[in-house]
Amino acid sequence: MAAAVADSLPPTTYGCSPALLLNSATSSSSTTARSSVASALAVGTGGAGASDAAGAELLPVSNVNVHPLVLLSVLDHHSRRQEGAGRVIGTLLGKRDGGQVEITNAFAVPHAERGDEVAIGKDFNRQMLALHLRANPRETVVGWYATALPPDENDPMNNGESKCIADTSSLIHEFYAGECDDDPIHLVVDTSMQYDAMALRAYKSIPVCVKGETLANMFHEIRLTLKSSESERICVDRMIASTSSSEGTTTLATHDESAALQLSMEKLLAMLETCSEYVDKVVDGTIAPDDETGREISDTLNSVPRIRPEVFDKMFNDSLQDLLMVTYLSNITKTQLVIAEKLNESLGK
Amino acid sequence: MEADRPITSVKLEVLAALKIIKHCQESLPTMVTGSLLGLTIEEGCLEITHAFPMPEPHDDNRGDIVKTGDDAAIDDEAAALDGHEYQMEMMKMLREVNVDNNCVGWYQSMYLGTHSTMNLLENQLAYQAELSPNAVVILYDPMQTAHGNLVLKCYRVSDEAVHLRTTGKNHFIKPKSIFQEVPITLNNPGLVRALLRDVGDGLHGPYSAELSGTDTTFDRLDLSTNPYLEKHLEFLCSWVDDLAAEQYKFQHYTRSLRNNVENRNAKGRKAKEELAAAIEEGWTRSDAPKRMESLLISNQIRTYCDQVEKFTGGGFGKLYLTKGLHGETKKQPSSSATSS
Repeated sequence: MAAAVADSLPPTTYGCSPALLLNSATSSSSTTARSSVASALAVGTGGAGASDAAGAELLPVSNVNVHPLVLLSVLDHHSRRQEGAGRVIGTLLGKRDGGQVEITNAFAVPHAERGDEVAIGKDFNRQMLALHLRANPRETVVGWYATALPPDENDPMNNGESKCIADTSSLIHEFYAGECDDDPIHLVVDTSMQYDAMALRAYKSIPVCVKGETLANMFHEIRLTLKSSESERICVDRMIASTSSSEGTTTLATHDESAALQLSMEKLLAMLETCSEYVDKVVDGTIAPDDETGREISDTLNSVPRIRPEVFDKMFNDSLQDLLMVTYLSNITKTQLVIAEKLNESLGK
Repeated sequence: MEADRPITSVKLEVLAALKIIKHCQESLPTMVTGSLLGLTIEEGCLEITHAFPMPEPHDDNRGDIVKTGDDAAIDDEAAALDGHEYQMEMMKMLREVNVDNNCVGWYQSMYLGTHSTMNLLENQLAYQAELSPNAVVILYDPMQTAHGNLVLKCYRVSDEAVHLRTTGKNHFIKPKSIFQEVPITLNNPGLVRALLRDVGDGLHGPYSAELSGTDTTFDRLDLSTNPYLEKHLEFLCSWVDDLAAEQYKFQHYTRSLRNNVENRNAKGRKAKEELAAAIEEGWTRSDAPKRMESLLISNQIRTYCDQVEKFTGGGFGKLYLTKGLHGETKKQPSSSATSS
C-alpha cells in the first residue's frame, strides 16, 4: 500500500488512502505558516503501523457530514480564484460532536503558495471569523478546505495528475491546528475534472512519531457523507432536477401543485409496482425468497390503516366540509376587501 | 447608476439561495435579515451571486464562544460595528476573495407569506432610494417551505408607490401595485452543475432518501391540512381586525371633518361646496390618517386568501385522490376473493 501524496482512485467518498508527508523538525514546531523544507515521501507499511499507535490517543473522528452549502462555497471560491493561482483554501465552520463532525459553513481565505512556501491571510481569517461568529455564534472552526492542486511542471514525479494533498498541506494544516480546539479536518474538493466525477475527500492528520519525536504528518482519509436539512434538501432537489434542462436554471414562479402531485403519485405507483413485481417473481419461483424483504413488505402493507367505509366516508366529508368552509371564508374576505378598497379610494373626494 | 430600465427578472445563484435558506432556517423562530451581493448583468436582469447574514442587533450569546486572547480583542472590535458598518466590513473582506462587491438588495425571512408590512416597505424604500432603484428584497418563508415546495420570493416597491412616497401624498393606490414581484430563476454555474449531477446520481453516498430521511417527494401526499389552515385563519382574523380598526379611523376622521364644516353654519349649495373643499383639504393635511397602512393590510389579506385558496385547491385534489384509492382498495379484496 505505497501511498504517495495523493492517490487518484475513482471518486468513492471513503477509502483508506493514507498520504504521508514528512516535514523537518523545525517546521513542525514553528507556528508561522512558512516553512523551510517540507518534502514528501512515499512510505510503505511502516507508516500505517505508526499511525495506529498514534491514533489510539487521539479523539477519533470517524465521520464527517458536509452540507451542500459548503461544497457550493468551495466551488464558487474556486471559480473566483486569482488568475494563475493553483488552488484555493478556506476555513470550515461547523460543530463537533464526539466522533462526528458536521461542516455547515465555510469562508474563503486568501493565500499564496510558491514552491514549498505558503502565506496565509491570517488577519483576514481572524477578522472574517469574528464577523461570522457575530451572525452565527454557534459555529466553530472545524478545519479547512482546499481544491486540488494542478500538476506542477517542475516536479520530477509529475505524472500529469492533480494532487489532493501537497507538501504545503501539512503547513496549512498546522496553522489550522492552532485555530480550532480539536484536530482540524481537511476537506478536499477535486475540481480538476480529470475524471467523470468530482471527488470529495475528508482527511484528518495523524502525526507520525518515532521515539517521541514528531517526524511527519499523515493525512488519513475519513468517511464523508453529504447531509442536508429538510429545507436545504428541497432546494438541492430542485437544483438536481434542473440539471437535466439545458440551461441549468429553474424558474421558481411557475409552480404547479397538480403537476407535482402527479409526480409524487407516479413515483409511488412505480415503487408499488416494483414491490408487486418482486412478490410475483418470488411466488413464481424465479427469485429466491428473502425473509427479511418479505417481512419488510408485510410490515409496510400492515402500516396502511384499515378504515371501515362508513368511518372513511365521515372523515372524507368532514375534511371536505372544512376545506369548503375555508374557501368560502376566503372568498368572502376577498369580496369585503374590494369594498374596503373602494371606500378607501372614495375618501377625500 | 445603471437605472435605465427597471429590472424584470432575478437570477439567483444557488450558493446565495442556500446561504439565505440556511440563515433563515437556523435562526427560527427569530426573523432575520441579510445582504445580497451581485451585479446587473444585462438589461433588466439582476444576478445575485452572494449573500451574507446580518447579525442580530442585540446579541448576548457571544459570551459562550471560547476565544483566545487576541481573538477576543478582534471580536469586541467586530461587535462594536453595527448593521451598516458590519456590512461594509464584510464586503471589504469578501472583495479580497473576489466576490462581487456590489450590494444589490437584502433578504429577510417571512412568516407564512407576511410581507406587506410598513416595516418592510420603509426598508425597501430606503434601499431603493439610497442604494439603487434596482434594489430588491428576497423573502424566504421557512414555514411554507415544506412538502417539497420552495418558497422564495423577490419583491421591489413599484415606481408608483415610490412616487407617492417621495411626494408625501396621502393618495390611494391599488393595494396590488404597491409591491411588484420579480420572477426568480435559480442559476447553477458549471462546476455546481457537475457536482449536482454527481449527487443526483448517488456518487457521493446514498444522498437520495434513506440517509437523511427527508425525501420530499412523498411529503406532498400528506393529508393533514388543519395546522396550516388554522394558522392562516388565525392570521386572517387578526389582520382583518387591523383593517377594521383602520377603517374606523377613516370614518372617524371624515366625520370630524364634516362636523367642523357644519359648525360654521353655512347653508345651501355653498355649504356643500365648502364641505367638499374642506374634506379634500382635510385629507392632504399631515395629521390625516395614513392610507398606506390600510392598503398594505388589504394587500396582505389578499395574499393570505390566495395562499389559502392555493392550498385548499391542492387539498381537494388530494382528498378525492384518497377517496378514489380507498374505493379501489374496497373493491379489490372482493374481486380477488372471487377469483380465488
